[in-house]
Amino acid sequence: MKTTKETIWIGEEDLTRDEQFLQNAQKETSLPGATDLAVENNLSSNRRDFLKYLGFGVGAAAMASCEIPVKRAIPYVVKPDTIVPGVATYYATTFVHGADVLPVTVKTREGRPIKIEGNSLSSFSRGGTSARAQASVLDLYDIDRLREPMSKATDGWAAADWSDIDKNVSTALKSARNAVLLTPTIMSPSALKLISDMSAKFNLKHVQYDAISSAAMLDANEESFGERVIPDYHFDKADVIVSFGADFLGTWISPVEFAADYADRRKVKDLKNPNLSRHFQVETGMSLSGSNADHRAVIKPSQMGSAIAYVYNKVAGGSAPTGSLSDNAKKVLDAAAKNLRGASGHSIVISDSNNKAEQMLINGINAVLGNYGKTMGFAHASLQRKGSDKELRAFLRDMQAGNVDMLITWGANPAYNIPEAAAFVEAASKVKTKVALAYKKDETTLLADHIAPIHHNLESWGDVEAKKGMLSTIQPTISPLFETRQAEESLMTWAGMVSDETPDYHTYVKMNWKSTAFAGQSQFASFDTFWNYVLQDGVFETSGGAEASFGGNAASYGSRVTKPSAGLEIDFIEKVALGDGSYANNPWLQEMPDPVTRCSWGNYLAVPVSFDGNRNFEGFQGVEHDSEIVEIGFGENSITTPCIKQFGQAKDTMSIALGYGRGAGGTCSKGIGVDLYPQLPVDSEGYTQYYSTEVDWKGSTKRKEKWYSSVQYHHTMGVTAPEGETGEIINADEQAIATLPVKGFQGSLVDRSIIRRAHADDLHDFTHDLQHEREHHQYLNAAGLYPGHDDLYNQGHHWGMHVDLNACTGCGACTVACMAENNVPVVGKKEVARHHEMTWLRIDRYYYGDVENPSVVYQPMMCQHCDNAPCENVCPVNATNHSSEGLNQMAYNRCVGTRYCANNCPYKVRRFNWLDYTTADTWPDNEPELVQGTGLEFGADDLTRMVLNPDVTVRSRGVIEKCSFCAQRLQEGKLTAKKEGRKLRDADVKTACQTACPTGAITFGDRNNPDGELMTKFASPLNYIALEEVNVQSSVQYSARINNKDKSLEA
Amino acid sequence: MSAPISPVRQPLITGSKTYHQITEDLCSPTERAPNATWVIAFLISVSVLGFGLFCIAWTIWKGIGTWGSNRTIGWAWDITNFVWWIGIGHAGTLISAILLLFRQKWRTGVNRAAEAMTIFAVLCAALFPGIHVGRAWVVFYFFPYPNTRGPLWPNFNSPLLWDLFAISTYFTVSLLFWYTGLVPDFATVRDRAKGIRKKVYTFLAFGWTGAAKHWQRWESLSLVLAGIATPLVLSVHTIVSFDFATSVIPGWHTTIFPPYFVAGAIFSGFAMVQTLMLITRKVLNLQDYITVEHIESMNKVILATGSIVGVAYLTELFIAWYSGYIYEQFAFFNRAVGIYWWSYFGMMACNVISPQFFWNKKLRRSITFTFFMSIFINIGMWFERFVIIATTLARDYLPSSWSFYKPTWVEVGIYLGTMGLFFTLYLIFVRVAPVVAIAEVKSILKAGGDQYVEKHKAHHEKAELEAPAHH
Repeated sequence: MKTTKETIWIGEEDLTRDEQFLQNAQKETSLPGATDLAVENNLSSNRRDFLKYLGFGVGAAAMASCEIPVKRAIPYVVKPDTIVPGVATYYATTFVHGADVLPVTVKTREGRPIKIEGNSLSSFSRGGTSARAQASVLDLYDIDRLREPMSKATDGWAAADWSDIDKNVSTALKSARNAVLLTPTIMSPSALKLISDMSAKFNLKHVQYDAISSAAMLDANEESFGERVIPDYHFDKADVIVSFGADFLGTWISPVEFAADYADRRKVKDLKNPNLSRHFQVETGMSLSGSNADHRAVIKPSQMGSAIAYVYNKVAGGSAPTGSLSDNAKKVLDAAAKNLRGASGHSIVISDSNNKAEQMLINGINAVLGNYGKTMGFAHASLQRKGSDKELRAFLRDMQAGNVDMLITWGANPAYNIPEAAAFVEAASKVKTKVALAYKKDETTLLADHIAPIHHNLESWGDVEAKKGMLSTIQPTISPLFETRQAEESLMTWAGMVSDETPDYHTYVKMNWKSTAFAGQSQFASFDTFWNYVLQDGVFETSGGAEASFGGNAASYGSRVTKPSAGLEIDFIEKVALGDGSYANNPWLQEMPDPVTRCSWGNYLAVPVSFDGNRNFEGFQGVEHDSEIVEIGFGENSITTPCIKQFGQAKDTMSIALGYGRGAGGTCSKGIGVDLYPQLPVDSEGYTQYYSTEVDWKGSTKRKEKWYSSVQYHHTMGVTAPEGETGEIINADEQAIATLPVKGFQGSLVDRSIIRRAHADDLHDFTHDLQHEREHHQYLNAAGLYPGHDDLYNQGHHWGMHVDLNACTGCGACTVACMAENNVPVVGKKEVARHHEMTWLRIDRYYYGDVENPSVVYQPMMCQHCDNAPCENVCPVNATNHSSEGLNQMAYNRCVGTRYCANNCPYKVRRFNWLDYTTADTWPDNEPELVQGTGLEFGADDLTRMVLNPDVTVRSRGVIEKCSFCAQRLQEGKLTAKKEGRKLRDADVKTACQTACPTGAITFGDRNNPDGELMTKFASPLNYIALEEVNVQSSVQYSARINNKDKSLEA
Repeated sequence: MSAPISPVRQPLITGSKTYHQITEDLCSPTERAPNATWVIAFLISVSVLGFGLFCIAWTIWKGIGTWGSNRTIGWAWDITNFVWWIGIGHAGTLISAILLLFRQKWRTGVNRAAEAMTIFAVLCAALFPGIHVGRAWVVFYFFPYPNTRGPLWPNFNSPLLWDLFAISTYFTVSLLFWYTGLVPDFATVRDRAKGIRKKVYTFLAFGWTGAAKHWQRWESLSLVLAGIATPLVLSVHTIVSFDFATSVIPGWHTTIFPPYFVAGAIFSGFAMVQTLMLITRKVLNLQDYITVEHIESMNKVILATGSIVGVAYLTELFIAWYSGYIYEQFAFFNRAVGIYWWSYFGMMACNVISPQFFWNKKLRRSITFTFFMSIFINIGMWFERFVIIATTLARDYLPSSWSFYKPTWVEVGIYLGTMGLFFTLYLIFVRVAPVVAIAEVKSILKAGGDQYVEKHKAHHEKAELEAPAHH
């Protein structure tokens, strides 16, 4: 042994390098013969070597047997400025789908759009979104979308070159004698200019129609105001709102805008003077708006004209015939009229009727009340509906007569969504050239000779003018994924309008803006600066047009309203999620339960229900169970459909949604629901009617639907009805709750501390009682054995949420936003029916009040992030635990999947991955089908997976998941604050549900920030905690639901 | 252990058996070729077990989604079966441990089979926590093993973890106890065996020679194990009941659960012992060793525990009403008359009403009646667990989330599979080991054999006559 470093030595001899010592030291470590032994053993292996080789061999064999997929990542050679891995880029654009429109911002990650957010710069949407807008990003990655141009060949479809199609279509267009461009409402000023330019050049006529039409209203407004537009409504300025059938919070015209305004007057801002608006809804079935209303007048659809006339008579003193309205309906209508008279200039009366006379009366009522110019205006008149039923019918007649020799359809689907779909299909053979500008194959596209696939909205350039003077831009957020071309560009090409000056539609839009919007402003001197500014904001708002005054003669229409008929009637409605059916291929929307019926994946026939006074809810015509399959006839035809017993459905009526039963709507819509468009009647004036009196009940099959996909079987918190024997008003639902012939006990549902509600006039007493009760709960809860962790939570952040039940309309935008943000899997009809839905956020719906005409409370329910969480202590492996910031968090990798936490959750918000919904398993072929018989699993393909949020783990089979309060957004917010060297503000972190909400019902923030938005909300004495007495110390507070019913009606 | 015996005691061994006859009678089933009944029963059991294994494989391959449980009802048949099987096991431990300490001589006739039943039942039970999880392949996270994740320990607050320890302890002690009892009997079989059987039994008998020292140590070990096992009889089901009692779900969160579960476990365990013993004594011709006396004794235990269970059910209802707590009140209202009323009705009829027939001595001593009762009770106890688990979860706090559950073929298959496993093991057991503890039965021959009992009785009566003033 030699000491290499002079400084290291053992004893003096070592330091002095003593000869003798060194020799001995050598002997000490090298025993005689040891060296020889080692040499000898060198050739054969010893035990250690054996183990080493064995270990290596087994390891190598194991490694080799695992096939590790090779994934190549190609780095940028030159990194684009806008793409920083891990950092999201937001682009302002506009969501347009048919007549639905919303200015939005799009979150892109690594060049992929993954999430739609509202655009708060828009005074039109005010940052709110809808479920449809939220889900539209998934359409971009629709596996059914067309990927290349196609032409019809002798044996089906053949891929075609753009040049061939362009040549054929241009030639046809040039020689066309009567070409028609059929579209839904088009709100783009540039596209409209382009179309009018084309029309000037060729024999081309532009026909717009809306599947769910507002044509009569537009025509009435044209007569009344000289403009075929829809007025601009200000629900925030209305003290009294009377809606005749218009579901303005759910589907009618511009629900996001209306809901925001409406909620503004439903939130309790001042306890002493709540100043809430009063909302009357006159309708047949329970719509989203009706469920939010203070009062509903329940009428048959054919009585709508009578109801409008009745109120018209009361308000304007007319003498229009009012038919045979029920006493109950009259009582509500009387109150509505009285309230309207007391709110001149502060009320809004609307109707979704597609009968011009009825719309004239509505205009008359509003005019008498002096609402024009106050709660309704024309300066920013809505351009969101332009369709004309008359033009559609004239076109159909032309087509049937063989007078149309060229048809270009763009976004329109007349082979499905008009009553005369069959006639259209038949007449299509008489059209020489049919061209479809289509996003995916549908019923109409299949008839075409050429399909020109179009871009998704998120791949396009464009502009929108949803309301006069409220412009917004559309800009691409991703390069086109496939060989598609923007529709407008195809039109330009075919019209020969592509020139050096306008080489593409992008330039065309810019030039149009230069000559219009830019020319009309004075803020910017250079167009490029202006354009960049507009693109960045996404919106550009001007003062709009001129006001208009009412100039019609409503009274003369009084006698022309629809005459009520007797017998059974059916009301055709539009669903909040699926619209006219063009959204049918979007699994997020299919999976979103209807807010009222809580059913997904299907259009269930709603039938009325009544209480027999004893213990049974009697369904219409003896329908016993929800999901019972019934047959209803329309003249010669009949359909079978599962039904549900719907509270608040008018007697002798049924309601069913349009937009289902797609013949060729794509994989997701296959076999879902039944198509009712062919049953829509067209009245003598050519307007499509959305109800039918020609319906008869053929009976129940007494079979139940196999997969009844309803997420909420039980319906009420207290539907009341008179007791059969005593006549006393009891809680019918509680009495009926037992299965055996035993009566339930009163209070079993309403005494639960889930929903709190009160009348606006009783707030003083109500808050007093509520606080008293809460104090009692808190007193009991404080008697625990264990000290809490308040000292820990009082430091740093302590996250919490506030949900204002007065602002929540139940529209469901938050639920879809949550799915998009958190990669929540879609599970399909069968799995929803088995209650395996994965939604982290759901909106519970509870009825209360009279059994035949109840009111509704919606309660968004997500993980309550309890500080004394029952789920946490039962997890055997600590997979769910509490963060120091009060978050109840999940470690998916640690989760074994005992589901004990889900059982022990009082709010039942924990979701288990029952099957391989995300195809995250390593073994193939065990994913459930999304739609039965299609072989499609949602998210199994690379295209759909592009929508996944890279910040959120995709959960595998067998683990529990639940709302995380958008933990990834909290992290992002914290980092932002840290980078900026300041404390975090509540505004830095907004959950996905919060940003999606059109009404601002959800507030998220830090409970340790006394000045933050959350703590401001938490200070309200209207707040309560659901199930507070269970002592789970929930972090979510709800604000009690306050109604503003007319007390004279309640007596 | 022979001792003077009261004349009121009925004989526990009939047929005037000699020690040799006892050996012959009890060893012969292991020495004969199996008869057709056994073969058919074994084939059926193995087939059912095979199907059960297939269903388990299916579950693990496809996911728990192949079951009927859902977002509201996270546990249903799985945990129902788990608790049911664990409960069944309790009779064996009670017989071998508590009755040993209480010097109940009648236990010797049934303890061996009852202990075997315990072990097989615990095996069946232990299967469910393992396979009911979403990711069966990481179930080892339950164990507190040293690891490099921090180290990350399991959550010692979780009743599921307590379950793990309770059941593994229970299984270990039961197995030791059972095997300890088997050692002298294996030696007896060994001494009669030839060839390969002899070799096997020689190994199994651990060199038992019957020396006095062996017997003394054996007795001591039995007592020590009985001492350890006695608290387990009470603790295991207490801990199982904590799965529910420590939760916040109305209908689960009740302090009555531990005693109620223990009584129910013994109740169902004895019922299962009856079912098995009645068949075994008939098939293996052991009527002289498992007498009506044994059956009556066990029926008395069933009557007592059944009544405790009945009182517990009624107490629950009373407390729910008395609590004034709406959720609790509704939970019990729902159990009785809600969507699963039939399971509550089945539970009440089978567990509370039917054992009351055992107040009648004639019925208590009727073999046919006892057999049917034992089946009823097992059904009733299964319903009890179903009522507690699925019915309660189906309708808890938020009406919006109420749901309905029905089992799928996979769950039914797994349940049947555990039956198959149980009977397969039991059938193997009756072929390889004496079903009645030979050594222990012999130890009571002088006290419980009918010929001696008659003699004692005559002797006793004579003594009474001769000394009327005695006492």
